[in-house]
Amino acid sequence: MFGYLQIDKAELKVREFEAYKSVYCGLCRQLGKDYSVFARFALSYDCTFYAVTLMSLRRSCSGFDDGRCRFNPLKKCKYARCGDDCYSRAAALTVITVYYKLLDDISDSGFFKSLAVRLVKPFFSHWRKKAAGRYPELDKTVCDILTAQLEVEKKDKPLLDEAAHPTACMLAEIMKAEGRSESESRVLYECGYQLGRWVYLMDAADDYEKDKKRGCFNPFLYVETEDLRGYMNAVLSQSLARAYDAYNLLTIYDFKGILDNMITYGFPLKQNSVLSVPQGGKK
Amino acid sequence: MSNPYEVLGVSPGATDEEIKKAYRNLAKKYHPDNYTDSPLADVAEQKMKEVNEAYDEINRMRRKGKGTGSTGSSSYSSGYGSSANSKYNSVRIYIQRNMINEAENILNGIPEAERDAEWHFLTGMCFFRRGWNDRANVEFQTAVNMDPNNQEYRTALNNMNTQYNYNYGGYRPNNSYEYGGCSPCDVCSAMICADCMCNCCGGGCR
Repeated sequence: MFGYLQIDKAELKVREFEAYKSVYCGLCRQLGKDYSVFARFALSYDCTFYAVTLMSLRRSCSGFDDGRCRFNPLKKCKYARCGDDCYSRAAALTVITVYYKLLDDISDSGFFKSLAVRLVKPFFSHWRKKAAGRYPELDKTVCDILTAQLEVEKKDKPLLDEAAHPTACMLAEIMKAEGRSESESRVLYECGYQLGRWVYLMDAADDYEKDKKRGCFNPFLYVETEDLRGYMNAVLSQSLARAYDAYNLLTIYDFKGILDNMITYGFPLKQNSVLSVPQGGKK
Repeated sequence: MSNPYEVLGVSPGATDEEIKKAYRNLAKKYHPDNYTDSPLADVAEQKMKEVNEAYDEINRMRRKGKGTGSTGSSSYSSGYGSSANSKYNSVRIYIQRNMINEAENILNGIPEAERDAEWHFLTGMCFFRRGWNDRANVEFQTAVNMDPNNQEYRTALNNMNTQYNYNYGGYRPNNSYEYGGCSPCDVCSAMICADCMCNCCGGGCR
């Protein structure tokens, strides 16, 4: 999706970092197994976050296996072993989200980029069908969200909350499905909602200058304030704060260090790096 | 009830001090103040109760002479007691029970001319429960502007501000990074300087 859901490596213990990497590698391998070698290129941090969360909530990681990286056979790596379908769920989510992202890109990018996108689309379309066959509910959630998103963007001056709502709902629904009790589902829903909202707004803040120049849709364009950076920061921080409060109500055993690191260091770090890009264009 | 040690996240062999510390940390984490206005207030309350019970249970098992241990069990009463006679009573009850659609239906049915500070406050609360933080902020602000003396509205607005400033030591607007640090060039020139100085004193780097 966007790649904002990352760890802060500097604050992580070495063994936790290795565990994180082994999930990353495991997901990459699963993409190769379920779809194709080329599907591995779609691997993202967001879906790794999803895989880590799933494995943590279901407590399904039973150990680590030694192996070698497919792309670099000289490099040894570890794979996290997983007893159930966490990897294939995360892999399915990866191809589904990338497919819909491509559809979106075709409609709003220039000639050459859209041509390139059209070339890879058939592959993803095939993989997506396969993924949707396995996890129809995932496909439906993501598809509904995109329709809703387009709807919102057509509106005249939509509110910030309104614009962020579809993406927020997507993550909320996906997380909620993992709840084992009514109250846990609610906690996961709130946590997912605020995280999804944060991801959407991060993307909007990141693309603000670009969208402004090109006249593309961006929810921050309709905000009237003197200190836009400060406003973005406040809105983003608030979403993280609420996600953190919800996260605290979850009982986490496995990968706790990694998830704690993400929500208290990794995400804020990403937020800061996006917001401290000098004004008036990137880099 | 599950194992009280597990609830507190300590091993059965932990010292009393460790248990007290674990209990304090958890109590801080689930404290109702962290969840005022949150749709998860009841979940937090439940967790708090479990932690209190676990702590009491451990104290009982360890037969500390002090009795059942004074945990200051949460006497937190959720809800809004302040305006019991409000015309929005049913709305408040709906919000408290997380029935946001019902609450919004009633609120939307009130004609524009009769919308007072409390109306804005409660509408804001509905938005907040839904996760629409930004709209919630606007409504809370309106409520406070219309009735600046109301403590309830002020608290809600303050909570929003606390969350706005919730950044774990990161982005500070006045402190944008100036690509500081040390480039390879800096390292070289520093070495050369150091070498010159050494030579001056007759030492030199050999």
